[in-house]
Amino acid sequence: MLKIKNLKCSYGSIVAVHGVSLSVKKGDLISILGANGAGKSSLLLAVCGLLKTWEGEIMFQDKTIRGMSPPAIVRAGISMVPEGRQIFSPLSVMDNLKMGAYTRYHSSSKHGIAGDLEMVMEMFPILRERAYQLAGTLSGGEQQMLAIGRALMARPKLLVLDEPSMGLAPKIVSMIFKVIMDFRDHGVTILLVEQNARAALKIADRGYVLETGKMVLQGSADELLVDDDVKRAYLGQDYGDFYDGREG
Amino acid sequence: MIHGMMDGMSVEEKDQLKLERLQSTLNRAFKNVPFHRNRLLQRDILPEHIASLEDLTKLPLMDRTHLGTHYPYGLFAVPLRDIVRIHTAPGTGPSPSISGYTKTDLIVWKKLVTRSLGAAGVTDLDIIQIHLPPGLANWGRDYKDGGEALGSSVIPNSPLSLAKTLMVLKDYKTTTLITTPAFAQQLVNHMFDHGHSPNRLTLKRVILVGEPVDKATIKDLEQRLHVDAWNHYGLSEIPGPAIAYDCKILGGLHINDDHILPEIIDPQTEKPVPRGEKGELVLTTLSARAFPLIRFRTGDTARLLTDTCGCNSPLMGMEWFKERTDNMIIISGIKVSLDQVKVYLQNALGVEHPECRIDRIRKDGTETLKICLTMDDALFSDEIKELERVIADTEKALAEQVGVPVKIRLVQ
Repeated sequence: MLKIKNLKCSYGSIVAVHGVSLSVKKGDLISILGANGAGKSSLLLAVCGLLKTWEGEIMFQDKTIRGMSPPAIVRAGISMVPEGRQIFSPLSVMDNLKMGAYTRYHSSSKHGIAGDLEMVMEMFPILRERAYQLAGTLSGGEQQMLAIGRALMARPKLLVLDEPSMGLAPKIVSMIFKVIMDFRDHGVTILLVEQNARAALKIADRGYVLETGKMVLQGSADELLVDDDVKRAYLGQDYGDFYDGREG
Repeated sequence: MIHGMMDGMSVEEKDQLKLERLQSTLNRAFKNVPFHRNRLLQRDILPEHIASLEDLTKLPLMDRTHLGTHYPYGLFAVPLRDIVRIHTAPGTGPSPSISGYTKTDLIVWKKLVTRSLGAAGVTDLDIIQIHLPPGLANWGRDYKDGGEALGSSVIPNSPLSLAKTLMVLKDYKTTTLITTPAFAQQLVNHMFDHGHSPNRLTLKRVILVGEPVDKATIKDLEQRLHVDAWNHYGLSEIPGPAIAYDCKILGGLHINDDHILPEIIDPQTEKPVPRGEKGELVLTTLSARAFPLIRFRTGDTARLLTDTCGCNSPLMGMEWFKERTDNMIIISGIKVSLDQVKVYLQNALGVEHPECRIDRIRKDGTETLKICLTMDDALFSDEIKELERVIADTEKALAEQVGVPVKIRLVQ
């Protein structure tokens, strides 16, 4: 569904992503792991059309997204839940959700909007309760649910989540992850970017590990869960030297 | 789902998967192994310059001598703390070659062995008996892990005599025997010589490892033992057995190219040969964490098959030939470097360039490295006893070095 080949992203002379390749198949739940500054967000920005210049190839459903505007990419079926939620605080919960369907109002799928609103409310009953409350007054967990609900309103084929667990209490995190798992079970294709490697790998089919803009590992979730390199990559920790702890 | 991610993939998708794995292998090797990093930098190559599978040919080749010269841990790509298993192979020079596995490596390897056994029809209803010479003990462990993961009952490798092996085979109702072609042949001969009927065995299949087996030998074994015989390709040094496995429909081997990428080169020019032509097999690991190999020259002769296989396997086909492109001889599935043997003899006997002929002989299920050493003045001693002692010591020490039994004979 999504295929990235040799992606390079730079900000002036600083290269954030050095020739990264990755792929997401229909129905997959793929996780991208990495410490701060590993290049995860740059990669997502490129996929969503928010990064102006990049090199390489990004194909979504066999078509390049090069030159497509962010709304066109949303219409094509990629919807993102951004890092830090980025909900519209002064608007009501309901208006936030409707904004998610913005690209659909002039298309043939607008008739389904009311039904989709209902579906999101079913999924997150708390949003129904607070439908006319200002989004800025919601708790962190509720805001995250709103951000996910808003992304779903675009009826995405590929749902991209950037750090959905960030700043949330563990209980809320496990709830959010359960919701993500439900999506996967309903056939939604998901690209999940996370620092919380363990939690992400527990629900993912496969994972990729980015380190300073380079892809250093990938594999099935069961392989990566036991990989010491993964722990080091996302914790940004390294051993002292090759013999660290085993000098005898 | 025996092929994991590769099932149902288009050629393009498979290439994407391999490229992704190749790129991260290169990133890890470049970052963690000075040997790989320096060789790339000498050629002004960075991992990110490898943007397609075809770009692989830009990278330098490596061979067995590199494994010895970086003894013990010089080619490891992870800190020692991440290593959970260490394997030793004889190597080609004075030092053995050592390879390591992380936990993840063992998981991947187990999957590949399971896949290869599954392709031969092994299931959780089978009883697997492993009989391999000490030099292939590493493979014994890998087959044990793979067999257990499949749910089969595994009788692990242990050094038993021919008669005892036959007893276990019969009484334990073994259905799958994993062994070398040499031993399988000896077993059959022993059975027929001693009047044991294959009908009294429950054996369904024999998996032959360590060296290529021609179709006639397979057919002969199948007919005499009333079994299916399957050939597996592996490397005794790294990373293990079941890199490629027989497919009856293909009439060749499927190579697990989702984890190990094959190329065929002309051994003289070191350039890739056109697809389908015979040459030296070069392998690049795509998922090995601890011990990545980048364009490793195996010394084996093979050709990649161009047709897609009727078994619907997404894996590439390969034909494996008996000839070698290096100066090695296969004894019981173990590769022995003739150069290493000569250097060893030279040092042990104190004779420069000892004149000798090296062969393999097969007796009672074991193959032996036979060295016919020409007597000359430098070697000659008045004391026959002294000479015998030197020869016996040399045999013993050399056997330990190369991992196979050694017999030295003096000739005029």
